Amino acid sequence: MAIATLCFYVFAAILVACGAMVITARNPVHSVLFLILAFFNAAGLFVLIGAEFLAMILVVVYVGAVAVLFLFVVMMLDINFRDMRKGAKRYAGVGAAIGIVLLAEILLVVGTWQLDPGLSGAGAAPTPAIADMHNTRALGNLIYTEYVYLFQGAGMVLLVAMMGAIVLTLRQREGVKRQRIADQVARSSKDEVRKVNVSSGSGI
Amino acid sequence: MSELPIMGPALPEIFLAIAVMGLMMVGVFVKPDRALPLVSALAIAVLLVAGALIAAGGGGYQLAFGDLFVVDRFAVFMKLLVIAGSVLAIIMSEGFIRREGMDRFEYPVLICLATLGMLMMVSANDLIALYIGLELQSLSLYVTASLQRDRLRSTEAGLKYFVLGALSSGMLLYGASLIYGFGGTTEFGALAAHFGELESVPVGVITGIVFLVAGLAFKVSAVPFHMWTPDVYEGAPTPVTAFFAVAPKIAAMALLLRVMMGPFGGMVGEWFQIIWFVSAASMVLGAFAAIPQTNIKRLMAYSSIGHVGYALIGLAAGTEEGVTGILIYMAIYLVMNVGTFACILSMKVKGRMVEQISDLAGLAKTKPAMAAALLIFMFSMAGIPPMAGFFGKLYVFRAAINAELYTLAVIGALASVVSAFYYLRIVKVMYFDEPAEAFDPVETRGLKAIIGVAGVIVLAFIFYPSLLADNAAVAAVSLLQG
Amino acid sequence: MEAAIVFLPLAAAILAGFFSRFLGGDRFANLVTCSFVVLAAVLSWITFFRVGFGGEGAEHTIRLFRWVASGDFVFDWALRIDTLTAVMLIVVTTVSALVHVYSIGYMSHDPAKPRFMAYLSLFTFMMLMLVTADNLVQMFFGWEGVGLASYLLIGFWYHKPSANAAAMKAFLVNRVGDFGYGLGIFGCFVVFGSVELDQIFAAVPDAAGTTISFLGGEFDAITAICLLLFMGAMGKSAQLGLHTWLPDAMEGPTPVSALIHAATMVTAGVFLVCRMSPIFEYSDTALTVVTFVGASTAFFAATVGLTQNDIKRVIAYSTCSQLGYMFFAAGVSAYPAAMFHLTTHAFFKALLFLGAGSVIHAMSDEQDMRKMGGIAKHIKFTYAMMWIGSLSLAGIGIPGVAGFAGFHSKDVILESAWGAHSGIGNYAFWLGLVAAFMTAFYSWRLLLMTFHGPARADEKTMAHIHESPPVMTVPLAILAVGAVIAGVALAPWFTGHHMADFWRDSILILEEHKALENAHHAPMWVKIAPLVFGLAGIAVAYWVYGRGLERGRAAGQFLGPFYQFSLNKWYFDELYDFLFVRPAFRIGKLFWKKGDGRVIDGFGPDGVASTAGRAAKAISLLQTGYVYHYAFAMLIGVVLLVSFYLLFGH
Repeated sequence: MAIATLCFYVFAAILVACGAMVITARNPVHSVLFLILAFFNAAGLFVLIGAEFLAMILVVVYVGAVAVLFLFVVMMLDINFRDMRKGAKRYAGVGAAIGIVLLAEILLVVGTWQLDPGLSGAGAAPTPAIADMHNTRALGNLIYTEYVYLFQGAGMVLLVAMMGAIVLTLRQREGVKRQRIADQVARSSKDEVRKVNVSSGSGI
Repeated sequence: MSELPIMGPALPEIFLAIAVMGLMMVGVFVKPDRALPLVSALAIAVLLVAGALIAAGGGGYQLAFGDLFVVDRFAVFMKLLVIAGSVLAIIMSEGFIRREGMDRFEYPVLICLATLGMLMMVSANDLIALYIGLELQSLSLYVTASLQRDRLRSTEAGLKYFVLGALSSGMLLYGASLIYGFGGTTEFGALAAHFGELESVPVGVITGIVFLVAGLAFKVSAVPFHMWTPDVYEGAPTPVTAFFAVAPKIAAMALLLRVMMGPFGGMVGEWFQIIWFVSAASMVLGAFAAIPQTNIKRLMAYSSIGHVGYALIGLAAGTEEGVTGILIYMAIYLVMNVGTFACILSMKVKGRMVEQISDLAGLAKTKPAMAAALLIFMFSMAGIPPMAGFFGKLYVFRAAINAELYTLAVIGALASVVSAFYYLRIVKVMYFDEPAEAFDPVETRGLKAIIGVAGVIVLAFIFYPSLLADNAAVAAVSLLQG
Repeated sequence: MEAAIVFLPLAAAILAGFFSRFLGGDRFANLVTCSFVVLAAVLSWITFFRVGFGGEGAEHTIRLFRWVASGDFVFDWALRIDTLTAVMLIVVTTVSALVHVYSIGYMSHDPAKPRFMAYLSLFTFMMLMLVTADNLVQMFFGWEGVGLASYLLIGFWYHKPSANAAAMKAFLVNRVGDFGYGLGIFGCFVVFGSVELDQIFAAVPDAAGTTISFLGGEFDAITAICLLLFMGAMGKSAQLGLHTWLPDAMEGPTPVSALIHAATMVTAGVFLVCRMSPIFEYSDTALTVVTFVGASTAFFAATVGLTQNDIKRVIAYSTCSQLGYMFFAAGVSAYPAAMFHLTTHAFFKALLFLGAGSVIHAMSDEQDMRKMGGIAKHIKFTYAMMWIGSLSLAGIGIPGVAGFAGFHSKDVILESAWGAHSGIGNYAFWLGLVAAFMTAFYSWRLLLMTFHGPARADEKTMAHIHESPPVMTVPLAILAVGAVIAGVALAPWFTGHHMADFWRDSILILEEHKALENAHHAPMWVKIAPLVFGLAGIAVAYWVYGRGLERGRAAGQFLGPFYQFSLNKWYFDELYDFLFVRPAFRIGKLFWKKGDGRVIDGFGPDGVASTAGRAAKAISLLQTGYVYHYAFAMLIGVVLLVSFYLLFGH
């Protein structure tokens, strides 16, 4: 138990530190790298509470796909981040003030939190023991029965996201030569080859 | 292992989801130049069928999908308004999108998807379901806002909307998580039952409600979460703005009503100050900020902010009468706004869209019929009897008075006086200024019909107010009794 | 039938005013108004004979419908038909009908004939409403209605600034009187508990001696009511103090002057006093005031009439003066004499006005007598008519036998004044005699300046002089007949032996007020004196103006300040201008510029509007277009709301 507690604090501390670094690092590439580190630590936290499926998904999807995509984008875009920061400093004071007030308020609010023992909702139902049912199966059970509505809804959201990406970025550029395989296959020598009698000495 | 959940009540949504995918297929496989008209027509048909299914489903209180989804008379009323808004938006956009570089079949499909999201919002009976519906709607709207991707204004509008929308979603989620934390469940009925037992409401719940309302207020563009509205309304393609101004507002208002009167319905006394503040601020800002505007789309943005403020008066009252008032207000708002935007979409000089108020100068001489229609809409928006808009205001103000919210009612009345200034200025420009260049003829029969019918409805409402008021009252009762 | 008399002119006004443009224009308007009003006049005469000579029980009241029923405050629209009303009916409708016909000719060159005819008919309706009223409120309706019609007709030529000013002046001065009249009605309701005439009259004997307390003072209720009502009468009848509007009202077309400002409307005050005789009889104080004001007006207006040069103004002051006679007659309880003079005056004064109109018409709208002269031979008929009118006005006749209409009525008034045997009666008698002298003088001054002597108009005008068309001369002839015979014919009934049978209950004279009875037994010198004074006036006029204007001018210079005093109408207009008009303007300007402009507009509409404009600009500056500003705004909003709940929520 002690090790688990120790791990929790290590993961949590690194996670928070990485989060801070993501928004303060001067080099955007460093930011993305810190983000990846933060994902790993979050995955660790998931493992600690027995959500190994989520942990793996986080690593595979966010680290393996999303964050790497970010990295490519940041590297390919020529943005002067120093200029962008200039404006932000002017509002740093106000921003900090609001942030601090909000933080204080949320702390106050959370301080009053207590779990009502009489609650019967999902909050009172812990993850099933790994021996009874593994994580993936437990999730699947919920997602495809009780929460099928939400699952399908989320699917629609992703569909929209995909469509949006295509609609907003896909362009048929004029004047770009593309390989049209069907056309190539459909071609026959009869259409394309012509026999011409060339009288000698004149050329075509 | 588990039984299949009940799905029957969600038939219209399921139909719409499947049909949308079919539409996409049609759009992809039909020749590009024929895709848009065909998909538009099919989308209208699909939405109408969905509307018919909704109407046919009746209004009995039904739950589906393990209590995540609810249908009642309130949902039916709001969904029909949303469908109407969406159908009209597609009809209105016909000429515009062909001309203005957004000739893409995805537009009607996205509208349908957004509509699906709105229907899900209206029927949400759970914080998560609420969020999913909201995101489906929002994401579709972000995309449509920047659909004119070669115009800087349009892409800027889409991006701004997206970034701020993400922030608002974050707030909403944060509020939802606080509520979940203090309530132990996300299901509305269980939340209501739980909060009903509490002697005093924990401040955490109130904070959660504040965040939740902030997220929803963003969607209805209420002050101070309205800042995106003028920029997005101005930047987005005009038919999209017309759509924004109507259907999403109604859906978000429905969601707000369902959340506030459902799980938190027992503690109106605790949260009405939020709505009070938001409502008063919206009315005042909507009245004042519109005055210096020169762009009519921007003006309509502030106008819609003001209208949302008036409608929210009914929610601040927190009574059945108040809810009835909101329903009536939103229905009338839909008609007035659709009519007005149909006029704005007809503001075209030599094939080029114009959006300045000064372009309307002397419209009464060059196009008397359109000027008369716009006059009716402006009078109605300003709340001048006997136009329909007057009755919308009347119902919510009466609810406020009966709920003893005198200050709010007075602020509302004063704000409507100020707002009358800019509505009447448009009338003045149309009727008393020297004619500017004449507009081209109204483009499509659809636009003409919308302008005409909306004008007639706004004028004739006074004769049959019960037609709407009775249904709204029934819907309000069903929302409050669950 | 009586209802038809009242409402025919209204129907005519509506038809002519609103529909003549669709139904045939000027001809239609002329036809419908004249025929309806003539019909009303015929019906009036029938009513007059039925009621006046029908003996006991001929008077009746026609209830049309309930007007107000609010607690104890109940009254109807009703037509009260008694002898007093019947006399007024014939006066009003007859003169009105003749003026309508006359106007066809007089206004023939005016582009707005239907409007004029409609106004005339409307006036007739209102006047009939006034004289048939069964209660004070209905009378007030007619009272204000004739005021309105008078306003509209004085300002008929609204493109003339002087006409507009005169119309407003008439309206405003009348407001002063109407204010008193209104208070009188309130007083009646307070004291008698009703505004219906029958109930008031029945309650008067019991109410004698009661007091009203107002502002700490105790006032005799009946005296107070009488004086307040008399204030209204003074305004409408242009008595001294509230007379200033009448001469200016001559800006209206001449038929209007004849109908409204000579024969009918201005006599409404006299009618009111006679109608309310059952109250006035119980207040000697009020009667004294009425006598005093009447006699003073008679004298004052006559002195002013001596020197005026505008032909219509001379007649206007003469009207004012004659109204004074009627009032002091009423003041000495000789109400029948007042009504008698009212009737005869209506004929000869309308005749004079219409005659003057004919002159003006002939002289191409010239009204200044100094530019007339020598036209008698050109318009002989009009000249004759003016003679008849003047003879009647001056009261010429053979005592004990017969004379012109004015002779009979004026004599009986002066005899009544003498017969009152009181200080105020003698005051009225002597002032009346002097006024009779002056009346004769200015009447012949008018005749001589207008018709005799050398022609002073330019040649163009002289070349145009022509007799008026028959449509104008026939009404003159009819009025002339009235001006000649009305006195002889009506005297026995109005003030003679059949008086009691004729008036019956419509006029109340208490036993102790014996002025009229004494008048019949007046000594010879009293009966002859008015005639002597009148003839003397004529003689002096011939001496001064018989051969042109030189002697008149010399007399004016000789009399110096007196002449100026009279010429400037005793400086009433200047006095009022100084006392009321200019202070009112100053106060008005103060309220307008400072009160309304700076305070109300400054803090009200203008201030609010400019503040709104500034606020709008400030708010729209918030809309910077930067996403992070917007995000900030959202966050600040959330923080504010949460803070609110944390600080004040519990």
